[in-house]
Amino acid sequence: MTNLEKLNAIFCKVFAVESTTLDESFDKDHIDSWDSVHQLSLTSSVEDEFDIMLDAEDILEFTSYNKVKAILAKYEIEL
Amino acid sequence: MFFYLILTMFLNLDIKKREKVAVIDDSGESITYGEICDFSKLFSKYVPKRSLIFILSENKIGSLLGYTSALSNRVVPLIISARTEESLYVNLRDLYQPEFLWVPNHLTKQLGYELVFSAWNYTLVKTNYPSTPMFDELSLLLPTSGSTGSPKLVRHSYRNIEANADNVRRLFNLNEDEKAMAILPMHYTMGLSVIASHLLAGATILLSNRSLLDKGFWSMLKEATSFTGVPYSYEVLLKMRFTRMDLPKLRIITQGGGKLTTEMWQALATYAQERGKKFIATYGQSECTARMAYLPSELAMSKICSIGIAEPGGQLSIVDSDGNESFEGEATGEMIYRGENVTLGYATSREDLLKGDENHGVMHTGDLVHRDADGCYFVIGRLKRFLKIFGLRIGLDEVETLIKSEFKTDCYCKGNDEKLVILVTDSSLVPLIPVFVEEKTHLFHQNIEVQVVEAILRNEAGKVINQ
Repeated sequence: MTNLEKLNAIFCKVFAVESTTLDESFDKDHIDSWDSVHQLSLTSSVEDEFDIMLDAEDILEFTSYNKVKAILAKYEIEL
Repeated sequence: MFFYLILTMFLNLDIKKREKVAVIDDSGESITYGEICDFSKLFSKYVPKRSLIFILSENKIGSLLGYTSALSNRVVPLIISARTEESLYVNLRDLYQPEFLWVPNHLTKQLGYELVFSAWNYTLVKTNYPSTPMFDELSLLLPTSGSTGSPKLVRHSYRNIEANADNVRRLFNLNEDEKAMAILPMHYTMGLSVIASHLLAGATILLSNRSLLDKGFWSMLKEATSFTGVPYSYEVLLKMRFTRMDLPKLRIITQGGGKLTTEMWQALATYAQERGKKFIATYGQSECTARMAYLPSELAMSKICSIGIAEPGGQLSIVDSDGNESFEGEATGEMIYRGENVTLGYATSREDLLKGDENHGVMHTGDLVHRDADGCYFVIGRLKRFLKIFGLRIGLDEVETLIKSEFKTDCYCKGNDEKLVILVTDSSLVPLIPVFVEEKTHLFHQNIEVQVVEAILRNEAGKVINQ
């Protein structure tokens, strides 16, 4: 699995969606269920999958599919 | 003192400093105690005394004004989340038939009733239901479980709410200098308790509807003198490594709504000790207007995971398996609570709103506890069928009813405070049930596990035996 596939699989699992729905509008404002429970589950899954430890500021920025990809780049995870 | 209670407004709101800021919410707007009183007068022009009203709540000023105005004018609210799933709301509406609703502006269209007036992004709407006969001392209705939309409500008296507010004020030694971070939802008994106790103290409430993973929450927390959360809130705070943050104004961190893990407890107690703050764990139930017991902060390091002692104004005891009740010394059994905050009882129908006090100040908590030689209580199990996940009470019977009616199938729910486990016989339902339960209850689907069994076996008494 590529890193992108791994990331998509995490999103699909956390939000119970198909990977085809993951696009630039997949964010906190458009996804009703995107609350702290989902966000925390997302951050924990990403940390476990890519073996990184996110800074508190970055956890707060986990608010859209695109932002998550950008943050992962900061941690040198190539997607 | 007794005289004051009779002559003044709800929570003595009218004898606070008029110019003092009572509430600040996420929008940055604020209201003073004087404005709360004025709004209450305005509200009384539209809503007759002893009306039944539903408040579809959010943690915003408009929603809070609905609560203070209703209680001040002897109007009886049922407070439910503005995010309540539609069919659950319709169920409650049809059953209790409120004459009015106080709702966020954006919901008025879909509700489709006559608009009466709007303020603070909330609107009063009038239904065509006739007035509801209600017990004279009935003040407030809350759902027993925040999420499953059960029609079973807790009936509060006016005295219940003031007694709880005063007990909590004394427990935390609250005064008007406090700035309380109020993130727990208003439709949740402990969320309301934070609000009522700080209003009684003449303090300022920082009312937030935000996620704990929102930047706005963290900037608001910097101003707070206290934070009240459920175990899940502290899971988020610890994950955000708040123990390393500089929060000089924060004086008290307090927790209720279920048990912390030993690790989380120790992290919070150590943080409090090292930073000169108070960590106060509490225990309560919606049947007792939120709070019932607390562990004094100086015992946080020695009585790990204890719910402590009765709050001021309350009394705890234990009834053991032989039926003997004791108030001190080591004992194990069901915990009993006595106090003026013990609610009147339940309602499951409109007719029940006429019922008087059925509990008479005594509550059999349904929690199995141990009391140590120092008089501190520890919860060791539960006699009633519910789980507490994210501080939400999940009634197992209610979830079973929801699943049975949706999927026309037999099922059985069990679990612990981390996971709801649902047993079914039809494997095709496995992927469908978590999504359905999440939609209905807002419980995160990853905390739901569906297991397929050959059959759901019951004994002669109807009790499920494949646990």
